[in-house]
Amino acid sequence: MERPSSIGFGLGLRPQYYREILEGKPRVDWFEVISENFMVPGGQPLAILERIRNDYPIVMHGVSMSIASTAPLDRDYLAALKALAERFQPEWISDHLCWTGVHGVNLHDLLPIPYTAEALDHVTDRIRRVQDFLGRRIAIENVSSYVTFAESEMDEWTFVRELCERADCWLLFDVNNVFVSSFNHDFDPLKFIDAVPPDRVIQIHLAGHSDHGTHKIDTHDQPVTGDVWSLYAKVCRRFGDVSAMIERDDNFPPFEDILAELEQARMVHGEDRSRQRESAA
Amino acid sequence: MNLATLQNAFQSGVLFGDPAISRSILDSRRLNRAARFKIYFDAYRFRLAEFLSNDYPVVRSFLGDERFGLLVEAYIEATPSRYPNAREYGRRLPDFMRLTAPWSEGGDAIDLARFERALSDAFDAADGPILAIGRLADISVEDWPHLAFGFHPSAATLDLAAGTEQCYASLSANKGREHGSRPDRETILVWRNDGQVFHRAVEADERLAYLGACGGKTFGDICTLLEFQNAGEKIIDRVASFLADWFRDGLVSRVSVVV
Repeated sequence: MERPSSIGFGLGLRPQYYREILEGKPRVDWFEVISENFMVPGGQPLAILERIRNDYPIVMHGVSMSIASTAPLDRDYLAALKALAERFQPEWISDHLCWTGVHGVNLHDLLPIPYTAEALDHVTDRIRRVQDFLGRRIAIENVSSYVTFAESEMDEWTFVRELCERADCWLLFDVNNVFVSSFNHDFDPLKFIDAVPPDRVIQIHLAGHSDHGTHKIDTHDQPVTGDVWSLYAKVCRRFGDVSAMIERDDNFPPFEDILAELEQARMVHGEDRSRQRESAA
Repeated sequence: MNLATLQNAFQSGVLFGDPAISRSILDSRRLNRAARFKIYFDAYRFRLAEFLSNDYPVVRSFLGDERFGLLVEAYIEATPSRYPNAREYGRRLPDFMRLTAPWSEGGDAIDLARFERALSDAFDAADGPILAIGRLADISVEDWPHLAFGFHPSAATLDLAAGTEQCYASLSANKGREHGSRPDRETILVWRNDGQVFHRAVEADERLAYLGACGGKTFGDICTLLEFQNAGEKIIDRVASFLADWFRDGLVSRVSVVV
């Protein structure tokens, strides 16, 4: 099993920046699209994505696969996802280690699971079935969470590590989510980073969050914080050359500010590479 | 709790405030279990409210923030989302308003909601070919009475209280609320061309012609229909002008000769 090579530094594709992207052809190596936003019969978003896809690689990132739900897998959803992937040929497809609802309801949130052996078996089985259906490995992202379940039998990082190995899937490592959860659950984020098998990590998310004093929330409405940049440097050291991107979903700044954050990601990654070369020499 | 029981309890807690899930949640150093779970309870309502605000900005402007907030709250409590795509969530808001007091008493707001919904539907509708009027040059004059038409998948008509389109335009341009819709009705045609959504009012005879054409009636049938409706003397010219407008607007996807 060889993980896909890095495709560089990307951005989440959002309508607020369509004009700058289409007209300016910015120095972005790839874009991540929210799969569900393009699961529509037709119209401008699909036409714009066609144009952007002509110039850039894309990856598809979903929010509604509900891989950890105890409700049956949504075959219609998976068929739409597969059709979208066949049309736009993404480098890979990802979704979250979470559930979004049961009994046909979608709570439109990335809901947490208890880290139990039962949940591990359940999610492993579902990832395998999804991968069989899609005919490819998918990447699963660790989420931010705000509650701790009494039922949990292991750490989140143990669960994630076991899941990647047993389901034979990739990991989309969200640095901000690890930081947010480490604050909310009082753990050392380095333990998470150190537990993850580097050969499973194919993508990194960087984003901002909101700080409520007693807890932090993964809101993607702020620049990446210094703490998260510091963690990213450690992530680069451990995981090596992995595709990384900036997520922004609210309180949108001028596009140049997002590009500046992307440059910072390149710089942090580059400094780490230089350091590694120096130590090797 | 096993995973299924826990997820049922969690969802009931988010949707209905059912306290059963609290047994499975631990306090953190800084927040008790109730406060931790409330993050999810509040986020659910906030997120759905955001979807509705994005989809119905003009209804919001028409009702004002406070009344729109009450409408959103009522809709969210009555209507859990069943869609992977957030854009689908608000689809039933106009029906909810029509069927639920006190919103059912506000006909103007209901029609504005129907109008905004139709614009969203046109935005996401399936793609389809758009024919230029030159396509008619291939058709011989004797075949014209047998011409039938297919329209772009985004095209739809709405029968609304007269003044709704004007009110929408005024509120969209932040020019304030138009008062007093009229008791008569207006028909609005909504469609998408080159990614942009358009709309315009149509007169009664164009409405009849368009709906007839959508239903498979031929050019000749439509002329007969309008003659029957006593629409005037130069029926053929009138129907031909509708046809020219439909081509100009990018509404026509298919032309065929019915034998």
